[in-house]
Amino acid sequence: MTEQSRTYAIDMQAILRKQDGYTNPMETCIHIEHLNLYYGQKQALHDINMKMGKNQVTAYIGPSGCGKSTLLRCINRMNDLVDSARIEGKILLDNENIYDKSINVAALRRRVGMVFQKPNPFPKSIFENVAYGLRIQGINEKRILEETVENALRGAALWDEVKDRLNDNALGLSGGQQQRLVIARAIAIEPEVLLLDEPASALDPISTLKIEELINELKEKYTIVIVTHNMQQAARVSDVTAFMYLGELIEIGNTSQIFTNPKKKQTEDYITGRYG
Amino acid sequence: MPEQLEKTVDTPLKHLVNPAYEKWRLLKDRLARYGVVLGGLGVIVAIVLIFFYLLYVVLPLFGSASAREIAQYATPQQQSGKSLLLDAEEQNEVAARFIDNGQIVFFEVASGKVVSTETVKIPPESRITSIAKGSTVSQGVVAYGLSDGKMFIAKTQYKINYDNNGRHILPTTVYPVSEQPIIVDEAMTALEAIAVNLSGDTVTIAAKTAQAVQLVNINQEKSLFSDEVKTNRTVATIDLPADKVEKLLLDKQGGHLYVLDKTGMVYAYNINDKASPKLKFQQKIISADAKVSSLVFLNGDISLLAGDSTGQITQWTQVKDALNNPVLKNIRNFKLADKPIVAIDPEQRRKGFIAMDDDGAVGIFNTTAERELITLKIGESRPVNAIVSPRANRLLVESADGKMHHWNVDNEHPEVSIKSLWRQVWYESYSKPAYIWQSSSASNDFEPKYSLVPLVFGTLKAAFYAMLFALPLAILGAIYTAYFMDPKMRQIVKPTIELMGALPTVIIGFLAGLWLAPFIEKHLAGLFLTLIALPVSVLICSYCWQLVPQHLRQKAGEGWEGSLLIPAIIIVTWLSFTLSVPLEAWLFNGSLRDWFNNRLGIGYDQRNALVVGIAMGFAVIPTIFSIAEDAIFSVPKHLTTGSLALGATPWQTMTRVVLLTASPGIFSAVMIGLGRAIGETMIVLMATGNTPVMDFSVFQGLRTLAANVAVEMPESEIDSTHYRVLFLAALVLFLATFIFNTLAEVIRQRLREKYSSL
Repeated sequence: MTEQSRTYAIDMQAILRKQDGYTNPMETCIHIEHLNLYYGQKQALHDINMKMGKNQVTAYIGPSGCGKSTLLRCINRMNDLVDSARIEGKILLDNENIYDKSINVAALRRRVGMVFQKPNPFPKSIFENVAYGLRIQGINEKRILEETVENALRGAALWDEVKDRLNDNALGLSGGQQQRLVIARAIAIEPEVLLLDEPASALDPISTLKIEELINELKEKYTIVIVTHNMQQAARVSDVTAFMYLGELIEIGNTSQIFTNPKKKQTEDYITGRYG
Repeated sequence: MPEQLEKTVDTPLKHLVNPAYEKWRLLKDRLARYGVVLGGLGVIVAIVLIFFYLLYVVLPLFGSASAREIAQYATPQQQSGKSLLLDAEEQNEVAARFIDNGQIVFFEVASGKVVSTETVKIPPESRITSIAKGSTVSQGVVAYGLSDGKMFIAKTQYKINYDNNGRHILPTTVYPVSEQPIIVDEAMTALEAIAVNLSGDTVTIAAKTAQAVQLVNINQEKSLFSDEVKTNRTVATIDLPADKVEKLLLDKQGGHLYVLDKTGMVYAYNINDKASPKLKFQQKIISADAKVSSLVFLNGDISLLAGDSTGQITQWTQVKDALNNPVLKNIRNFKLADKPIVAIDPEQRRKGFIAMDDDGAVGIFNTTAERELITLKIGESRPVNAIVSPRANRLLVESADGKMHHWNVDNEHPEVSIKSLWRQVWYESYSKPAYIWQSSSASNDFEPKYSLVPLVFGTLKAAFYAMLFALPLAILGAIYTAYFMDPKMRQIVKPTIELMGALPTVIIGFLAGLWLAPFIEKHLAGLFLTLIALPVSVLICSYCWQLVPQHLRQKAGEGWEGSLLIPAIIIVTWLSFTLSVPLEAWLFNGSLRDWFNNRLGIGYDQRNALVVGIAMGFAVIPTIFSIAEDAIFSVPKHLTTGSLALGATPWQTMTRVVLLTASPGIFSAVMIGLGRAIGETMIVLMATGNTPVMDFSVFQGLRTLAANVAVEMPESEIDSTHYRVLFLAALVLFLATFIFNTLAEVIRQRLREKYSSL
């Protein structure tokens, strides 16, 4: 522990209470092997190798442009939408390579849900937003939809706030509520993995706190990968932290270890605020 | 210099800001704001002014007539005898009174001052027993039936002279057939009723004596080489008991003799062969408890107007019944008051008439519009004679107390009413009521048919077929371009299609009318085959493309696969047109057009709604495409990625999120396209044939409101009814587009509120 790290007021006690998630995962959920990603000629990710355990929160930290969002998007193949992107290597989800030709991308994305930085509810009612994922799977039975929507909204800690106005347009919700709605929408289809791409960066501190509490609850059910700029947030919510820099995975380890005893100089420099 | 530089840099910003510049900046801002406000208000004011100008021109159509008495004087030369008839001339200066002693008194209309008196040369031993106006009314022919079985034809003429004191009208009387009385009845009995038709050198006379009804035809042939005049005379007797006959009418076409008997039965005789008149039909024109008190022709001598003792006026016209037999049909009724009708005088140039009753009430009516324009009360005593001036702007009424009443009538547009514009109207000689637009003809007898319904129908029909062609292509094209197409290809495709919109519509119309219409007429089967084959072949091509291995596809240029369809489309179109010829021969005996016509009874016009649909669709596509494409393209990417991240396929994302979010934009694209299709003029003008028919068939022509205004405005007389009705058509178009656009904007705002993207 250095002087500088203390100046960041990271709750070290909380970090130290965290379990030893990385070194002794209960079960590996996602296994990234030799992943390289190119945008045209430019290489954005360099030979990434990592494992993420089931029902754990893994946080990707690193300065802007280091490739953490890109890596996150690889896990549900959102990078396929970028025409110039080309991928080498493997990502195994439950021992199945998601870049295999036989993989149905739409089905994969149902298993790997994603929440974006900016809340993006559809211009539909609150109910229809949450039910969307089910409807596109062809589930239209009213009873099932109502039950699932309620469960998902409860799961996203939004139910009490919106239960009386499920048919109102979702665009009328506040930013924090919208983000929790988007999370409800994502968990309504019961994914195995939840990818959160800076989910709280556009929100005020209270909303951020709610989202963080939510992540702690969701961990019980889902494997979560979160990209964040906010190191306190990473420290608070994650079990495992990966530090990336210039497209390379510099260090990955238990959150308590990364924040208290980083093995690499670059990691230490970053978390102590020398750059980033 | 360096010191100075340092100094300026050191100066705080607030000292550097030039107050004058600050002021100038604010001024510019304010000017810009006023400019924008002024421009916006200017547009609104211009539209409101256009609206009010249209309204200003249109409104007189719906005003009722007005009339006021301008003079009243004692009947000129009242002491000479009773008036049989009145006559008036074009300029409303001189009128004539035909007295029962054979005198014709010409007097000034304004004052009643006698201008001249002439006496018809009636033989001294006989007297006048009947009188009738000739059927060629406007020429002022009057026939006198005499007590000795002879008759006499006189004609008033009004010569106009100009000298230093201005215009003078000189009335004279001429004798067009002969200065001697014409013998009608060889038995020399008195002519109790008479009718005459004078056309050229032929005079036809129908006369009733105590014994018989006779039809006399006299034809004078001048020899080409000498002044010798050869007279042919035929006499025929109508086989009706003469004692029952009340009134005779000869139409100006010389084809019909109508005889009214005392029971109210009208017998129509075909007198094309003057030597042997044939009874065509008979028809009772009155109910049992009433009596016909007046029977005249409406202008044009096609319809009969019968006034009866209950104050009702009925209009009768010849139509064909279900068995194709001619019958007299009651097409319209008017009611003046409860008193018996004394006289009916038709207007000379319109389908209007005046009717007077026993009580001194005078009504001015129009038959086409089915309007009673005004009812007047003239004098204290009952009217005996009345005449409408040739221009229908004056009314001269003689009352039983020996007074003449001179009225000014302001009745400019009697033939237009809400009913005649928007409802079915039973026009003369039509077998049933119909919607017809037929605004003008060369003759005064013509009944103008101003139904706007066929034009509105044509407008909607053209817009419907244009949208049918344009909507799927434009919207689907916009979806593909905005959502699926490679950005590089989009950069080429979008401006190209937008360029299509810059094509002057006159060129599209020209091509549609002169090239496309004959081409489609010739290759109708090919066109239909293409319409079926193209979508199918595009689907097949797309499926085949899926089967091509990935690396080959990449080589061909990913994202450019759409362009590979171009040769496919060309080949399929060419094949369709080539194959259609043997196919047509095999399935439809060589011509699909004839097959439609003979088998299904669907007629084919060369310039039809199909041509218009394609041509106008072509003009509308760029508008719809461009706006819809922008709307779809501007759907935020985070919504599509959000949907995809939930496991939706691109197609699901497109239909459930993208189209929903873009719906306000797509809606306004459709509305703007529709507005353009409704208001479009040049293309419909050149490619529709401009036939105002009410037939929804795609193979029939049409006429739109806009094209109608363009076609007819140059030939309409300013401030005439026709002119104002054309303005009304423009107003209808204006209001329709206005209401349409407002409605569209309201709906769009609502949609946008609901589906506005973030």
